[in-house]
Amino acid sequence: MRYYAQPLSQLIGQLSKLPGVGPKTAQRLAFHILEMDQKDAQDLANSISEIRDKLSYCSICNNLTQNDPCQICSQHKRDKTLICIVEEVKDVIAMEKTGEYKGVYHVLHGAISPIDGVGPEDIKIKSLLPRLDENTSEVILATDPNVEGEATAMYISKLLKPLGVKVTRIAHGLPVGGDLEYADEVTLSKALEGRREI
Amino acid sequence: MYLSQLYLKNFRNYTEEHLKFNKNINLLIGSNAQGKTNILESIYLIGTGGSHRTNIDSELINWQKDGLYLKGELIKDNQDYQLELSLLGRNKEIKINSNRLSRINDLIGYLNIVIFSPEDLSLVKGSPNLRRKFIDLEISQISPYYRHLISKYGKVLKQRNNLLKEIRDNKAPKEMLSVWDQQLIDLGSKIIKKRLESLIKLGILSKLMQRKITNGLEALELKYDTELDLDNNSSEDEIKESFKLKLKEKKEREIYQGATTLGPHRDDISLIVNNIDIRKFGSQGQQRTAALALKLAELEFMKGEIGEYPILLLDDVFSELDISRRSYLLDTIRDKIQTFITSTDLKHLDGLKGNHKIFEIKNGSAIEV
Repeated sequence: MRYYAQPLSQLIGQLSKLPGVGPKTAQRLAFHILEMDQKDAQDLANSISEIRDKLSYCSICNNLTQNDPCQICSQHKRDKTLICIVEEVKDVIAMEKTGEYKGVYHVLHGAISPIDGVGPEDIKIKSLLPRLDENTSEVILATDPNVEGEATAMYISKLLKPLGVKVTRIAHGLPVGGDLEYADEVTLSKALEGRREI
Repeated sequence: MYLSQLYLKNFRNYTEEHLKFNKNINLLIGSNAQGKTNILESIYLIGTGGSHRTNIDSELINWQKDGLYLKGELIKDNQDYQLELSLLGRNKEIKINSNRLSRINDLIGYLNIVIFSPEDLSLVKGSPNLRRKFIDLEISQISPYYRHLISKYGKVLKQRNNLLKEIRDNKAPKEMLSVWDQQLIDLGSKIIKKRLESLIKLGILSKLMQRKITNGLEALELKYDTELDLDNNSSEDEIKESFKLKLKEKKEREIYQGATTLGPHRDDISLIVNNIDIRKFGSQGQQRTAALALKLAELEFMKGEIGEYPILLLDDVFSELDISRRSYLLDTIRDKIQTFITSTDLKHLDGLKGNHKIFEIKNGSAIEV
């Protein structure tokens, strides 16, 4: 990095730590920032430095939020007796985009995976239990349909069983709007296994 | 089905080669290290999307070149299919009739292949791993779902083994096991059920083959060899029940060992001839005959499942068989199965009559003679 002036090489070094950004892209971005409007550059710098201070995790559902409790947990319209358990904040956004779900969430921030040294105590399961009471109508397990997600769902369902709460697992199968003939064999076999009577 | 022609560019030691094949028997003759097996490998690659020799794709590309390209013409059900495979760096692309496939797996089912290599001669006396691989590969060629089960089971196994070690070292509670057991039992039982179903069909076919090769002297029987309580006709639920029960019994031992010791990854196929388990107690000749019978049964099995004989690749095994087995093999493939045979000379191939083509392989080029 001797070719660059020291502040420039420092910026390039920081940018290249971002995912999907290699040294070339980092260099391009750095030069772009250098040529930006003074104000735009300042705004960018401010948003970066503020994001850690302004955002925190919701004390109820562990979602990312500016105010505690989060927007979803503090809405009156939301059905607080219905809790959907997801692995990541990204999953909340995906669920919210459907516009169909009226309950609240619980974000685990991970899934059980012994290979990665992640056990139940390493994800946010403990904080789920105080949220449940006799008014809880249903807990929906919406962890990913891979082996770790299934194991996490299994663990939580076993944990909640003695409490007598209704626990459900989201279905997996065919994408809506797709033709049957274009579905891959694995998805189709899964959908066949999970068929239901109508 | 048969492969009518194949074009290779920058594949292993071939820079450019265009081969027109015989519908029935194709002999690839040449000294060692000239590129005979490479041709078989290229056929395997264009049929399955992967090599049978290596998992590292870059090894397939000619030295100092950036990429390789294969084009084959497949005749199946009187229809022409043009298969293309290109590998540029790590980027693999497959086209069928000029349409690009979005997933490599979609290739499965066009060109079916049975390969018989020297390793397969020890299919009977070798480690259980070989026999598991044999049956897994076979079912995978006709069922993508099975391939999915195998890969998912492997992941669960890895996680569970890790957990067992953690429990042994008091880093995790025993109760956590049940979380993984459910998936292990579920996936494992599905795999076992699929294996049992194929084994019944394969058993009938290989029994027939063994009887023919030995002039009716030997009756071969295949049995699924497992610690679980089941027979060839057990249902998926019965398998699950037994799996669950045995897993419970073995729990402490598994924790002590830090490994899952039960399931399809530990099972085997036992081969019994006249009441003797020939895996351990068979003569070398018996074991080779049974290996041949299994491979021929595989051909018939695939015919039953897909309606046509697959293509057979015989990699340096022809000279390893004795006269009677060789002539039986030739009788089986004659006029019905397209076969590619590699050999260093024509010495063992005197029984060859009728439809065939000979290619002389020398230093990365193939000349029709």
